[in-house]
Amino acid sequence: MKTKLFLLTIFFSICQTALIAQEQKMTAAEIASFKEDVNVVSKKIKTLSTDFVQYKHLDFLSKDIETSGKMIFKEPNLLQWQYKKPYNYSIVFKNGKILINDEGKKSAVDIGNSKIFGRINKLIVGSVSGNMFDDKEFTISYFKLKGQNLAKFIPKDATLKKYIKQIELTFDKEEATVVQVKLLESSDDYTRIVLKNKVINAKIDDSVFTN
Amino acid sequence: MQKSTIQYLLINCLLAIVLISCGSVTKNYIPKKLDKTAVEVPYFSDSKTDYVYKTNITVYGNELSGIFIAKKINDTTHRIVFTTEFGNKLFDFEISETTFKVNSIVSELDKKILINTLKEDFRLLLKKDYLIQEQFENEFFNIYKSADGKRDNYLFLTKKDQKLEKVIHSSQIKEKFTVFFNSENNIFAEKIQIIHQNIKLKIELNYFKSEN
Repeated sequence: MKTKLFLLTIFFSICQTALIAQEQKMTAAEIASFKEDVNVVSKKIKTLSTDFVQYKHLDFLSKDIETSGKMIFKEPNLLQWQYKKPYNYSIVFKNGKILINDEGKKSAVDIGNSKIFGRINKLIVGSVSGNMFDDKEFTISYFKLKGQNLAKFIPKDATLKKYIKQIELTFDKEEATVVQVKLLESSDDYTRIVLKNKVINAKIDDSVFTN
Repeated sequence: MQKSTIQYLLINCLLAIVLISCGSVTKNYIPKKLDKTAVEVPYFSDSKTDYVYKTNITVYGNELSGIFIAKKINDTTHRIVFTTEFGNKLFDFEISETTFKVNSIVSELDKKILINTLKEDFRLLLKKDYLIQEQFENEFFNIYKSADGKRDNYLFLTKKDQKLEKVIHSSQIKEKFTVFFNSENNIFAEKIQIIHQNIKLKIELNYFKSEN
């Protein structure tokens, strides 16, 4: 009898865990209100800085490859993505150029009007600010998690689709800001970026965006 | 008569050049009696280790940086993946001594000549077992010659602690490329360079420890 009760308890706790972890589809009304919340917040963003930890998951590896650093964005299109650990690598998107500083070795790429890089820039900023609800570019689906919302974006563009199968943005329910970005290359391999210590609208000088 | 003298001279000159070139890898080294018939390289041989390197590739003045990942997936085969710092896969290969499979490659790098070069480079980089036919030495190294099809590999092991520091891949006529290893513990290599002699290609790998 005791064993039965014990097993039953375990069974229920497993069910409960599964229930919590399960993604529940949002209703149309929930989608509308969620998008509105995110848009209100992201419209207010003039500058944004955040720490991040990146986990590269390849199914055949025993551990994810972990790197970390800081991301800084300033309106309308200044962006710096800086890895600090375990190596120094920084990339700045600025006036149609990509500036790279790889452990002190500097290089620049002129992207001019390159559509794909323009799109990548928009994608990174969109991913971090959350403002990416473009039905022309993506097929989007919406889910509820415990204390969080989840939006899944499947690119419509064939070129983009070759590199990214799906983007998943996880939002904090209260703050309506992005806490995790997941870029899926295939069902087994993905890059997961966790954002922490986000600061919105602090004063950031343009000189930050040099490399 | 004169014609044949010129021909004779020409042939002699050619022969001399060929002979000099033939011995180019070993010409400054002293032949020695074989002290072993096989060499085992440990640097990519552990199936439990994820080999992860920050990588710079310089090809004809163009720079490409990213992360090189190698993992032994069974007795004969390694999976190798090269990604950008952001994590996007640039290529994904499966490679053994006799087989080669491209799981994926971005269109910008999808060139036969590049893939074949990388295949040769990585095959030598990951190679564990060498059969030795000849041996040489200089002040610091024992040099082992190992046949590789029509070509040869020359392995340079330090006399002091039997550490493999470089492998020269060479045809009968000239050196093709060299792999340099820097290893503290003789188990894995912290720093590796692959340098080509006949084309302007250099691959530099620096091991890094993930934080988790």
